[in-house]
Amino acid sequence: MAQLQCIVVTPESTVLDEQVEFVALPLYDGEIGVAPGHSPMIGRLGYGELRLVTSGQSKHYYIDGGFVQVAANVVSVLTKRAMPAAAIDTQVAAEHLTEARGRRANSEELLAARDRLERQARAQLRVAQRAR
Amino acid sequence: MAKARALDKRRKSIRNIRKITRTMELIATARFKKAMDRAHAATAYTKRITRLVADLANSGLEVKHPLLEGREQTQRAVLLVLSANRGLCGGYNSNVQRAGFTRFAELQAQVSELSMEISGKRGLAAAKFRGLPISESFTHFEDKPSFQQVEVLANRYLDGYTAGTLDRLDVAYMRFENVSRQFVTVETLLPLGALEGVETQQGATQSQYEFLPSAGSILEEVVPTSFKVKLFKCFLDAAVSEQVARMVAMKAATKSAGDRIRQLSMQYNRARQSQITGEIMEIIGGVEVLKK
Repeated sequence: MAQLQCIVVTPESTVLDEQVEFVALPLYDGEIGVAPGHSPMIGRLGYGELRLVTSGQSKHYYIDGGFVQVAANVVSVLTKRAMPAAAIDTQVAAEHLTEARGRRANSEELLAARDRLERQARAQLRVAQRAR
Repeated sequence: MAKARALDKRRKSIRNIRKITRTMELIATARFKKAMDRAHAATAYTKRITRLVADLANSGLEVKHPLLEGREQTQRAVLLVLSANRGLCGGYNSNVQRAGFTRFAELQAQVSELSMEISGKRGLAAAKFRGLPISESFTHFEDKPSFQQVEVLANRYLDGYTAGTLDRLDVAYMRFENVSRQFVTVETLLPLGALEGVETQQGATQSQYEFLPSAGSILEEVVPTSFKVKLFKCFLDAAVSEQVARMVAMKAATKSAGDRIRQLSMQYNRARQSQITGEIMEIIGGVEVLKK
């Protein structure tokens, strides 16, 4: 069976480079699944869960925005931060969420920044909960 | 005995110094290797971003973004100087400072509002000594600057640029080319100018890619990201160069300590020899006197 090569890079390191059967990615506006033979695509990522499926086993990662490029059965994910779902500290994420919600947002930029932080924290919590 | 003993004492103290410098050299080597690995990892990221930009440009999209275009009038500028927190690394700090402060003087003549931000205790001390105004200082960047730390800075500059409170950002740092070549660079990071990868194959408008949600939206995100990565790369280069400079400086120090020890040993042996000779002469002289 054809396989996908999934590469996850952050500015600090190459987090992951594996052969997988299926990848699910959090796009900016919803999730997308990539199976072998997917048409070439470039997408903007949101905050959320990256799921890798290899022979029925799935692995969960949290990724923090960025881009994905799919071509010739290679999925390259460029993100600011990537970590295994098990490594998420839910307490810290929850703190971030309450902190973000308590922020003042009296201008458009501040509102956007608050929304971003909130989405980020919520996504972390969601990924951590699903992995459990 | 006095002279020989004094020489021996000096030799001992130099031996101690040599031990310290050798240890520092080893530490710098280990840190350099780690820093180097991180720099390599960052290169992997930049390469992919460049490829992505090339693909975007090939899709026939006009690469346009406020961050790429300069302002008509540059009024507010920031100069960021990346120096080290610690000394004992040869000419590293002074070279960066010299380049940074020269640019500071140049910019001061051009723009009305100029502020200098300095990373590293060494640079801070030098600027204070010269009486230059420092608007912001960072000392938390050690030999392993993390992307998250740098991103905080980058976001501040980006926000400033979009809000119009910043027109230009220059960074002075030591650029790392290879182990034997590093040089001081003063780079203008904002406005970004052109993105790498844009100039390839302008003619080909047929792209194989599907863009989600759209090429424009992706570009909007790519430009700030590439700025952040560029800034991060500056920090990484500075960290690697610092370790290289320290490695070289400490190697030289260890070597000259060794030379000095050899020299002192020779002097010590000579002094001891002449002392013994003197003592024998005294005894012989005494015997001669008794014989008479």
